[in-house]
Amino acid sequence: MKRRNLFKSLLFLRIVLLVGLFVILLLGGFTYKHISNLTNSTNLVVRNYEVNFELEHINSYLNDVENGHRKYTLTKDTSYLKPYLNARENINDYFIQLNELTKEDAKQQENLRILNKLVDSLFSNFSKTDALVKIDEVNTETFKTLFFKEKIVLDSIRNKIKEIIDIENELFNARQLEYQSNFRFTPFFFYFVLLATLVIIILAFNKINLDLIKIKAKNDQLLIFKESSNQSEIIGKYGNWVWHIDSNIYTYSDNLYRLLGEEPQSFEASYNNFLKLVHPEDVHKFTKGLEKMTDKEELPFINYRIIQKNGLIKYLKSYGKAFYSDNGQKRLLGITSDITEEIENLIKLEERNLELERNNKELAAFNYAASHDLQEPLRKIQTFISRFEEREAYKLSDSGLEYLERIKSAATRMRLLIDDLLQFSISKKPDKELVVSNLNMLFESAKQDVALTIQEKKAQITNDTLPTASVIAFQIQQLFLNLLSNALKYSKNGGVVIIKVKYTMVRARDEHQLRKATNINYHKITFTDNGIGFDQKYAEKIFNLFNRLHNKQDYSGTGVGLSICKKIIENHKGFIFAKGEINVGSVFTVYLPI
Amino acid sequence: MQTNYIHIILADDDKDDRLFFTDVFDELKINTKVTTFNDGEELMNYLNKTEAVMPNVLFLDLNMPNKSGIECLIEIKASQKMSEIAIAIYSTSASEEDIEKTFVLGANIYIKKPESFIELKKALSEVVSINWQYHTNSLNKDNFILRLK
Repeated sequence: MKRRNLFKSLLFLRIVLLVGLFVILLLGGFTYKHISNLTNSTNLVVRNYEVNFELEHINSYLNDVENGHRKYTLTKDTSYLKPYLNARENINDYFIQLNELTKEDAKQQENLRILNKLVDSLFSNFSKTDALVKIDEVNTETFKTLFFKEKIVLDSIRNKIKEIIDIENELFNARQLEYQSNFRFTPFFFYFVLLATLVIIILAFNKINLDLIKIKAKNDQLLIFKESSNQSEIIGKYGNWVWHIDSNIYTYSDNLYRLLGEEPQSFEASYNNFLKLVHPEDVHKFTKGLEKMTDKEELPFINYRIIQKNGLIKYLKSYGKAFYSDNGQKRLLGITSDITEEIENLIKLEERNLELERNNKELAAFNYAASHDLQEPLRKIQTFISRFEEREAYKLSDSGLEYLERIKSAATRMRLLIDDLLQFSISKKPDKELVVSNLNMLFESAKQDVALTIQEKKAQITNDTLPTASVIAFQIQQLFLNLLSNALKYSKNGGVVIIKVKYTMVRARDEHQLRKATNINYHKITFTDNGIGFDQKYAEKIFNLFNRLHNKQDYSGTGVGLSICKKIIENHKGFIFAKGEINVGSVFTVYLPI
Repeated sequence: MQTNYIHIILADDDKDDRLFFTDVFDELKINTKVTTFNDGEELMNYLNKTEAVMPNVLFLDLNMPNKSGIECLIEIKASQKMSEIAIAIYSTSASEEDIEKTFVLGANIYIKKPESFIELKKALSEVVSINWQYHTNSLNKDNFILRLK
């Protein structure tokens, strides 16, 4: 849009220049025409004057000739004929000049010819009268006729001369009039044209001035932009470069020089100069990338190292893409950034990861020890106890039997702890794949595992039809098992144990407990029992590892079961909540994302 | 060779476990002949002898020095003479990895060593009375692990 405006103003300036030039040419043309008119008029005046002058000469010569002729007629003295003898020659000279002066005027030329004829007839008449005078036949009829004719011819000549002069004057006056009328409009015209030119020039100046102000503002913006780009290059640790493909010239930004460990613009930007800084091991990779740049006019991301002159090794990453300027020149604009810190962090991270992996392996080894090596001696202790009880118990006193019972229960407890710990550590592994499973099957399997207890406690378990969901099957089965055995374990003495499992599909926004939910819909499964319940203030605590609300004598348990449940639910990005009321029962609610 | 007793072999490096094992069969009212070996190597040395009597059931501990149970299993299944022996894995661990591995290698049943003598007795008596023909034909991952009812 702005560029279009600039372009428009450029067009405007060009038009103004053309109009100005045209006006100046026009003025020149008019001036030339007027000056040449003036010259013409002057010439006309001179000619008019000269024609009059020559005619007057002719007239005066004719008068002389006539006078001389008359005097001769009266005196018969031939000396009076002298002017007559010269006159014809002189008059001819004047005719030649007059002919020259009026050569462009056909009418005047015709008049001159008639005049010339009249002069000729005058002179021949003079000759005839002179001859008669000479022989003294003055009073003859012939002489009188001739003499009279002489007067008529002379009158005709004078009339003709007057006519020529009149025509000449008339012409002069007409020209003068025309000239004057021309000159009356000339100043006004000049003034008008000058005024118009002035207006155009002022307009042009104004426009140029406005454009200059705009350009200055743009330049200011450009300067700010350039500075901010410079600063962001420094902060962002990158530099830019341009490869002018047609002329094979490179330009580097100041910060690119800094990235290379050099002063800005301290050496000529070129491919070879850059290559000198590239780490020898990366030269091949670098040149291969650059070859692509030449072929495809695009530089893919390349990572390489450079060695600064102070010996520091830096990791750089470059990328470039071709673009075309307005006048169709090909250029490749590239960005090179310093990724040394990133790489160093990455290396650190990798080291940490390795350490973590080592730790995990140690943990796995510990798990194995817990599952196998610790279980083995314990199993033997238990088996020996059972052998001892079977074979030797009858020999023991009552207190001995009591001790044996204590040993047995301690060993059983240790077994539980080891099993649960192992289960917990397995639950922590999140790398298991989610498989679409029928939760009813998993629930039934879990129920099978506690079938004996269900039978013993005569528990009534009712459940809704559960959905199919993407889960880690064995973990969900473990979850169901733990919740079921929990409900069975913490049942009230006496009375019927009732466990109800309910299922609904819910939307997260309808459940006040799911404020932190990331999914829209959840499977909601609740386990409700009529057991001993718990104080609601422990509702969160009971999921903590080794947390127990009851003493070991009253209720067996390790305090791991619910922690495992929580872990499993977290693995599935779900939620688990507990709600209890002492001596009424407890409700465990599980949300699994859909 | 037609015999009127069940020939049982146990390879286990643990003295106590061997003791429990033989005690169980002493108490059981089944006519059995129990042979025990201290590790996998001893077991394989015996089985590889030409005059060796192939057992009806071979109980194989997994974690043994010199030659592990897994190695024995591979060798036995590769041998024409021994491949028909019913093999019961008899181990302290019940890790999924071990179960999976032995199942794939062709063991017939997996017993996790129980914690009481009574349970052990139940488990072993059940195993020796299995109809292997029938059991092997319908073998799957679920009935591979011995569960006591």
